[in-house]
Amino acid sequence: MTLIRQTLAALALSATSAAAHPHIFIDTGLEVIFDATGRAEAVRVVWVYDDFYSLVMLQDRGLDPDGDAKLTPEEEARLSGFDMDWDTDFAGDLYLLDKGVGPVALGRPHDWSARVEQGRIVSIHVRDIVTPFAVTDAPLVLQVYDPTYYVAYSILGTPLLSGPGAAGCSVQVFEPDLSAAQEELQAMLQEYTADQSVEQDFPAVGANFAEEARMTCAKG
Amino acid sequence: MREGVSAAGPKAVVTRAVVIRALLVAGLLVALPLLVLWATGGLGDIARWAAEGQHDAQNALARAIRSLRAGEAGALLVLLGMAFAYGVFHAAGPGHGKVLIGGYGVARRVRLLPLMTLALVSSLAQATVAVVLVYAGIAVFDWTRERVVGAAEDVMLPASHAAVALIGLWLAYRGFRGLVRGMAVRGHVDDHGHEHGHGHVHDEHCTHRHAPSVEEVAAVTSPREALALVAGIAARPCTGALFLLVLTWQMGIGAAGVAGAYAMGLGTAAITVAVAGLSVWAREGMLSVLSGHRVARALPVLELAAGLTIAVLSVMLMVGSV
Repeated sequence: MTLIRQTLAALALSATSAAAHPHIFIDTGLEVIFDATGRAEAVRVVWVYDDFYSLVMLQDRGLDPDGDAKLTPEEEARLSGFDMDWDTDFAGDLYLLDKGVGPVALGRPHDWSARVEQGRIVSIHVRDIVTPFAVTDAPLVLQVYDPTYYVAYSILGTPLLSGPGAAGCSVQVFEPDLSAAQEELQAMLQEYTADQSVEQDFPAVGANFAEEARMTCAKG
Repeated sequence: MREGVSAAGPKAVVTRAVVIRALLVAGLLVALPLLVLWATGGLGDIARWAAEGQHDAQNALARAIRSLRAGEAGALLVLLGMAFAYGVFHAAGPGHGKVLIGGYGVARRVRLLPLMTLALVSSLAQATVAVVLVYAGIAVFDWTRERVVGAAEDVMLPASHAAVALIGLWLAYRGFRGLVRGMAVRGHVDDHGHEHGHGHVHDEHCTHRHAPSVEEVAAVTSPREALALVAGIAARPCTGALFLLVLTWQMGIGAAGVAGAYAMGLGTAAITVAVAGLSVWAREGMLSVLSGHRVARALPVLELAAGLTIAVLSVMLMVGSV
């Protein structure tokens, strides 16, 4: 029976994680902003939408009617904020983990803008870290993923570190270790008991399949 | 080859039977695990590869639409090619259409060609549903794109999962019924020796025939069942096709969009037809290792297991999609 239950749990997990197809692809640029005392205080997020979805969005709004993929400043102003009307429970598909574990609370997006570059919509916004904190040699992990996998995110280049207190910090992007993620999934299923909700545990597993940036700062 | 067979006589016939059997058993060893892994998303690398392929196809598709609007020569052909590629990659990721076709192929002793036809028909029906939804929604009811996609995702997607879950339950019920009947008949035989089975075999001296025959268990698929299968898959139009149809309608190149939606359907069919083949191979491989009367007993078990798998997966997906 344990085998059956585990099989069902595995099916449930894989069904929720992978059965949804991505329809939108977003390359994400990240910038961690530090205050003068060296605390991380905000993250600037740059979403570069895929060609197809960009075209759908522009056409929907009647923007770029001549099809030259260039927007006038007025059109840019109209486009700006098109993806910023978030539901209250939408996490912005950005997850920060202090020391690789603790979730870091982020504020609502602000200072947004949007433009079109080579046919692709580039949408930028800033999220404040609710309680700014100093990063140590235990990494601050930044993940971008959609738990429902409707949007497939990837991290663009290496995240930027800016602000007066950024000195001594460095950041690196890691591809998901798929075999390790699978092992972790297996391990989790071993521990899975009937009174636990597989669904509830899911986002943590989904994150294992996402790219992530790890940032550390030298002490002192 | 033919000459070799006739020259070698019965021995070659035996060898050929062994080869066929080995090929079938390979189906059990190769096709079944692949099918299960693929259908359930266990192949993380394939899913990733498929998503990357879809990403490229999607971008190329957008460029083709731009060139078509600009009136460039040959753009339509590129659009159709990219839509087909999009369909292939999109379908290569895990999804319920494959779970259903694959599960059904394992559950029922349906022949290869009808199942492949069913896979093709359901993909094209899916494209048709997308076309009808977009043109009814936008052209007739003046819906926005968001409303059309919303209808597909909030109403049709759960409905499709529910329909597929029901088909799974139906298969499981058939399997369960077959299992109970098989047990009842066997129990009867054990208790009373030469008594009649449930009245459908009237040969007192032939107790070993009291169990349902392979032919009885593997009843011919009804057109109604085929229709349910097609409807279960087609009821959920692909969002990519909806995007394409709305986009081309807005740009005034609607015909190209409709053709593209069907090209996507054909791309999807390329994968589901392959899954149909895999599932038949896997099922026959499983049955080939069993001797005659065991096949009759195994079929209801297969049906029950595959039906339950389809039902459970669909319910999970439904919960996730509501």
